[in-house]
Amino acid sequence: MTGPLEMNDSPRSGSDAGDDWLDTLLRTDAREHRADYLDDDGFTARVMAALPAPPAALPAWRKPALAALWAAAGIGIAFALPATATDVAHEILRAIFAQRVSAAGLGVAFVALVASTWTAAALVLRRD
Amino acid sequence: MAQPPLTDAQLIARVVVQDDRNAFSELVRRHQSAVRTTLRRLTAGNHALADDLAQETFMLAYRNIKSFRQEAQFSTWLYRIATNAFLADARKRKEELLGDRDQELVPEDDDEAALSPELTGSDQTRRASLRIDMDRALAVLSDAERAAIVQCYHNDLSHEEAAIVLDCPVGTVKTHILRAKAKLKSRLAAWESL
Repeated sequence: MTGPLEMNDSPRSGSDAGDDWLDTLLRTDAREHRADYLDDDGFTARVMAALPAPPAALPAWRKPALAALWAAAGIGIAFALPATATDVAHEILRAIFAQRVSAAGLGVAFVALVASTWTAAALVLRRD
Repeated sequence: MAQPPLTDAQLIARVVVQDDRNAFSELVRRHQSAVRTTLRRLTAGNHALADDLAQETFMLAYRNIKSFRQEAQFSTWLYRIATNAFLADARKRKEELLGDRDQELVPEDDDEAALSPELTGSDQTRRASLRIDMDRALAVLSDAERAAIVQCYHNDLSHEEAAIVLDCPVGTVKTHILRAKAKLKSRLAAWESL
């Protein structure tokens, strides 16, 4: 080593006298290297080909077709088993109307619903 | 009227929001030269390895582009990924070399003699000579020292920016630079008088 080493604040700000020629050499080499633009030569195409395939988009007709299938199945069951379907519907309605609903109960349910809605909204906004 | 080209930030937004492959392709096209030349320097002139690492760099950039916060330039972020890819690869190669007992160790170039510049040729020959000598001299440095020199000189980053790219304290960057320059000084001494 030819001289004491000193720390510079930045390589852009120059160097001590002992390193001047090396600094100039490094800068010259770096400048010439930077000036060389490397032709793409198919590099971008290779990168793009190696990317994971995009997720396949679902066809637009998929949702209505599924809804129609479920509706057809429901109607088919109702026609095939008319008595059962009527009984099930009656029982569901009876169970609903048999519930005793008080004003206080309704209030509690309403407050719980509002609180859960606001909590969910706050969580979503926080994540964004 | 021709529209002005989209900025990097606009292209990144398209990639993030719409997974726009064309936008990412444009980003690769714009930055491929800088990333590949940086990696060529880091690998001390191994072009094939540099291109493999450059491809890995862009693949990682695509996968992690949502985490790019636009606090630094996109190119600086790419340099960081490229340097990490290079250092990880270098570590892997060293482990493989150490693990393979049957494999002959590549002899270290212990020749401390300074490389000789081409004195007789034209400017072009001199430039080519400098490039070869610089590649050989850089090959003597440790991976971390070479990475610091490449970021600070080749990519013209400040020590602070290089510290971000290299993911280490500024003091460590300065130490790497000092050690690297001490080694380069002896390897390139013949260029001092020119």
